[in-house]
This record gives sequence, C-alpha cells and structure tokens, in this order.
Amino acid sequence: MDTNTILVGLAGVLALAAPILFAVIGETITERAGIINLSLNGTILLSAIGGFAVACETGSLLLGFLMGMLVGALVALIVAFSSITLRQSQVAVGFVLALLGRDLSYFLGTPYMNISGPRLAALPIPFLKDIPVLGPLFFRQDVLTYLSFAIIFLVWLWIFRTRPGLMLRGIGERPAAAFVRGANVNLMRYVYTIIGGAVIGLAGPAYSLNVKAGWMGYQSGLDGFGWIALSITIFGGWNPLRAAFGAYLFSLLQWLGLVLQPVLPGIPSQVLQVAPFPLMILTLLLVNISNAEWVERMLAAMPEGLRHVTTRLLRAMRASPPASLGVPFESE
Amino acid sequence: MRKILAKIAFLSIAAILVLSACGGGGGSQLAPLGDEFTFGMILVGPHNDHGWTQAHYDAGLYVEQQIPGAKMIYLENVYSGSPAYPGTTTSQLAEQLVAQGAKLIIFNSDDMKDEATKFAQDHPDIYVIMASGDQVWADGNAYIAMENMTNIMGRMEYGKMIAGCTAALTSQTGKIGYLGPLINDETRRLASSAYLGAKYCWAQAGNDPAALEFKVTWIGFWFNIPGVTSDPTQVADDFFNSGYDVVISGIDTTEAITEAKKYSDAGTPVWAIPYDYQGACDTAPGVCLGVPYFNWGPAYAATIKTAQTGDWTSEFQWNGPDWANINNPDTSAVGFVKGAALGADASTQLDQFIADLAGGLNLWVGPINLQDGVVYLADGVIATDQQIWYLPQLLEGMEGQSVSE
Repeated sequence: MDTNTILVGLAGVLALAAPILFAVIGETITERAGIINLSLNGTILLSAIGGFAVACETGSLLLGFLMGMLVGALVALIVAFSSITLRQSQVAVGFVLALLGRDLSYFLGTPYMNISGPRLAALPIPFLKDIPVLGPLFFRQDVLTYLSFAIIFLVWLWIFRTRPGLMLRGIGERPAAAFVRGANVNLMRYVYTIIGGAVIGLAGPAYSLNVKAGWMGYQSGLDGFGWIALSITIFGGWNPLRAAFGAYLFSLLQWLGLVLQPVLPGIPSQVLQVAPFPLMILTLLLVNISNAEWVERMLAAMPEGLRHVTTRLLRAMRASPPASLGVPFESE
Repeated sequence: MRKILAKIAFLSIAAILVLSACGGGGGSQLAPLGDEFTFGMILVGPHNDHGWTQAHYDAGLYVEQQIPGAKMIYLENVYSGSPAYPGTTTSQLAEQLVAQGAKLIIFNSDDMKDEATKFAQDHPDIYVIMASGDQVWADGNAYIAMENMTNIMGRMEYGKMIAGCTAALTSQTGKIGYLGPLINDETRRLASSAYLGAKYCWAQAGNDPAALEFKVTWIGFWFNIPGVTSDPTQVADDFFNSGYDVVISGIDTTEAITEAKKYSDAGTPVWAIPYDYQGACDTAPGVCLGVPYFNWGPAYAATIKTAQTGDWTSEFQWNGPDWANINNPDTSAVGFVKGAALGADASTQLDQFIADLAGGLNLWVGPINLQDGVVYLADGVIATDQQIWYLPQLLEGMEGQSVSE
C-alpha cells in the first residue's frame, strides 16, 4: 500500500467518523448539563430518515440537515420534559425512545427505500488541498466533515474557556451552587439538552445524505452506532477533544479491519470485522478501571517503578462523570 | 377398575404406535394445494431492497400472476439477530405464516438453512422451498432426505462470469475489486466465477494476464450489520481509493454502485456492477456497467404447480440461463442486463462472450489451481457440479481470504 493510498484511506476515516463525532459531541453537551440522553440510537436512525426524506422531497440538502437537527431536538425535548419536569427516570425514558425511534424510522422509511437521493459533494479547499500530507488528509473533505473538525474545538472552547461554559459545568457538577450564583438550572438543562439533541440529530443525515447515502431500512447499517457513540462519550471523559479522539479511533479500527484482511489471512475475517466494537469496550474498561478499589490494592502490591508508570497511565486515562449526572434538581 | 385402567393404557399405547407409524414416513402427508391456496415467504431483507430479497418478492408476484388461485404472504428482515423479531426463531416465524393459512413456505436465504431443515422436519405436511440450499441434493455433501423440501438455485456462476468479463473489458487500471459477503461455498464459487470471466476477457482483449489484479474483501454477511460486519461503504471506498476502478458487488445491497457514483461525480472514472436484482442499476445508471440477476419466478411457479397438482417431488434444482435469451422472464433463471455506463466496444465484446458461453465455452476447465497453489482441476479436466458448488478456496491469482476460520 503506497503513501497516497494510506493518506486517502485515512481521509476516509476522518469523514466516516464525522457522524459519530456529532453524536458524541451532542451527548457530551447534554451530559455536561447533568442530563443523560440515552436515545441516541433511535435519534440517529429517525433523523437519518427524516433528513433523507426532506432532502428527497425538496431537493435541498440544507433542509435535510436542518430536519435531522429538528428531529434530534424534538427527541431531546421529550427527554428533558420527562426527566426535568415530570421527574421520570432519564435512563428508562431514553432507552424507550431509542427503541421507539429505531422502529419508527424503519416504519416511516418504507417509501424511501433504495431511492436515489441528493448527496453532499466534496468541497476541496483551494491551495490548502495541495499541502503535502495535510491537504489530502484534511482539506479535500466535504463541508460536513469540516464542520465536524470545527465543532470539536468550538464546543471545547465553550465548555472550558467561556463563562457560560463554566456555568454549564456548574449545573452538571453542583447545580445547587450554580443556582445560588443565579443560574436557572432547569431552564439551562432544557436548553443544553435540546442543543445537544440537535447536534446528535445532525449525525443521522450525516449518514443518509453523506457517508452512507440513501435509506435501506434494516439494511442501512446504522443500528448500533448510537450505543457506540454513548460509550465513546464515556471514553471521552465528557471532554470534546478526548471524545473526538475516541470517535476517530473507532473509525480507524474499522478501516484497519478491512486493510488488514488480506495482510493477515490467518486471522478469521469475523475477528477483524467485529474487533472495533469489543476494542472500544476494552478501552472503556481501561478508562474506568482506575476508580476501582481492587486496582488500588493491585497497584500497592506492585514494585515501585512499575507502580509509578501504571499509576500515571491510569490517571491519564481516568475520567469521572459530572457529579450530578442523571440527578434531578429541585430549587428547594 | 384395574382392568379398565389396563385397557385404557393398552389402547393408548396402541394408538400412539399407530400414529407414530403414520408420521414416521409410512406415507406422504403432503396434500395437493388445490385451486386456491396461500404460500408464505420468509425473506432475509426488506421486500423492496433492490437486491436479493426483491428478486424473490417479485418472483412471488410472478407466481400469483401465473397461478390465479395463489396468494402470497411474507415476513421480511428475517435473519439471525434481526431486531425485527427479537427472541423468535426463523422456524417459529414460518409457523406464524402457516397459522395464517400458508401451505407452502419459501425460505430465501442460506442464513436460514438449519431453520428451514428444522421446519421441514417438524411440518411434513407443509411444502418447503429452500432457495440456495443443498439439503436435498442427493449427491451433495449435506444430504438429508425430506420429501416436503425442494432446493432451488440459479446458476449465477454464468452471471458472475459475465460480470467479471464486463469489468475486465472496462477497467483502465486492471484492478477489479469484489465486495464479498460472508465466506462460504456459494460466495467462493461466485467470486471465483467472476474472476474466471475477468481473466478470460482480459486476455482476450490482448492484455497481459499478469497485469490483472482481482481482490476480494469480505464484509461478513449479506448486508451491513454494525458490530457484526465490516461496513460495505468503507470497503467500496477503500477499493476506489486504492486504484480499483471497477467493483463487482456480491452483497445484497447497493453500496458499491452508490459509492461509485460518489467517486464518479468527483471526477474519478470508476464503475460498479451490482447484483441480484434486475433493476439494481437504477440507483446510479451513470456508473453501472450491468447487473447479473436472479429470475426466481419461473422455477417457483413450476415447482409450486407440482405441489398444486400432487406431482411434487423433492429435488435439487440448479437452473441455468436460457441461452436463447438470457433475459427471457419466463424461461431464464439467471440473466444479465447491460448498464448505461458500458462502452460500445465493450458491449460488442461482451455479446460475443455471452454467445461463446451459449455455444459451450466453459471456464471451469483445468488447469485451475486453488489459491494455495494446489491443483484443483488438471489440464483439460471439466469441473463437476460438486467441484463448483463446494469450491474449498478462492482460485490462484485472486487476492483475499479463502476461509472464514
């Protein structure tokens, strides 16, 4: 495999990661506000068919993407209303919505099965596209992939470098303290859940109008990505930069499963096909393992040099959720 | 009292023995379907998938058209782990169709092979057609006597040879990709048939045989299931990114042609050959070189008519094209429709190739070596049906995995 082929392949990895990235960033925003939106799998499918249907009917890709965001925002509104106003279990509501969204998408999508629809075209950036290595990797993508690059840094800046972002972290970590400082915690949770949902909703048309264009019902191959996005959110430690790394790692593993197939004929093809999924779960385990008591005991028993290295490694990977994640807030 | 109980016990045992004898193959339990009947289809994908499943569904409509009293009912998206029917087995779903009045069930995927066998054995009074299976092939490797089952398959090897030839006549880079599903006997022989067709036409066109590259990448199933298979979109992209300018699809869905259109729209000259369904080129005619497709209707109608009249016999059918006209909807089991993207010269050469096949050209003749170099067919030896059906590896000259474990 020559260098150019590898570069083009890696550029494909970045493009294919874009939908997962939107879902992960959207969920990160939501969970930073203290709300768990478990509906991702259903939201992605429903927004995929919603966006595709609107784009087919109107011929407008923009309306298709907006429809996807609207679907995501509406599903998130249900999550917010049932958990904040009705004080129902966020996990239960999200899970039911994940199933409902999936089945509804297959039902509503029947008229759009395998029809030819609009698709986002590549938009190479003049001059930048010719930069060696960086050009083919980053600057010959489509507008949605550029947006996926930008959203990582924009959301990171918002969360960690702005005053409203500080308040966002506050309502997810210590909502009572944020309330004392004048934050309308529940209203902010509503707003961030809906915004996060809209970003999650962008993942659907990012598939159906771009990387996996069209709609093929059960055969669309989108069922399951929502759950992966949820696990990457945890892997990402509720940090957009780390979450983006997780999304790209997952996409890279999928690509490696293909390119290694002829190189490693001794390994059953199924292993390479399935590997990205258990590998992500394994990474998730490593991220959370350092919080366990038995790990502390194991570390204590290690020789000092090894303990030092292992502790630093585990500390670097450690991630803790927002302290009030999933906990309803009452001002009284 | 004891005497009465003993008599009841004796009569019960006698009754069980008599009933067992009847059910144990003493006589056929298959009744003719009669003038009006319902038949059921268990479909692996959605009925309108523009692929394998739609070819079957359309065949069901053909049966309804050909046999006035026939009525089709069906269940779609039936595969291992399908979210459509959690906790339900394929044979249980077939029983649901029977409960709705179906007297004959068609199972349309090799993924259902074991379940179709179980169902046929559990319901000796129901006719069963198992597409792509070999359970009742007396000369096959997996023979099980089931008088209520018939296997039907088209000789798609010819369709794939034509597809391979089309690819070779069009490719500018000499690199042909094959988007493979899971690895089994069927998929090995079809990918290999495509390779044989490509190799033959590549050489016939005066090219250096050594310059032809033919690579197979398997996704793991007939369509994409995240967490189970590789992503066919990614596979197709990887082919095109690596200089493969024609991708032949071996899967049930349309990713190869969809991605070819994306690359073509961006200015890269690439093409695709979809699979299974006559109308598969409609998705992106501008990059479609043609499509080898199944035409299940005639075989289904003829077989179901035997069940209707009481002339049913369990058999293994491996039906070829009608060489007088491979696209005759009433006689040809497999066909090939040329795509709009096929060039005029290539089209002429392809016609000649098809005419040669019709005239007796056989590409499954030695010398043919397996991928590991072992001689499979010595020089001049013609492959038997068993050697083609149960091909153990890909062929020498093909790149890609041959076995799944």
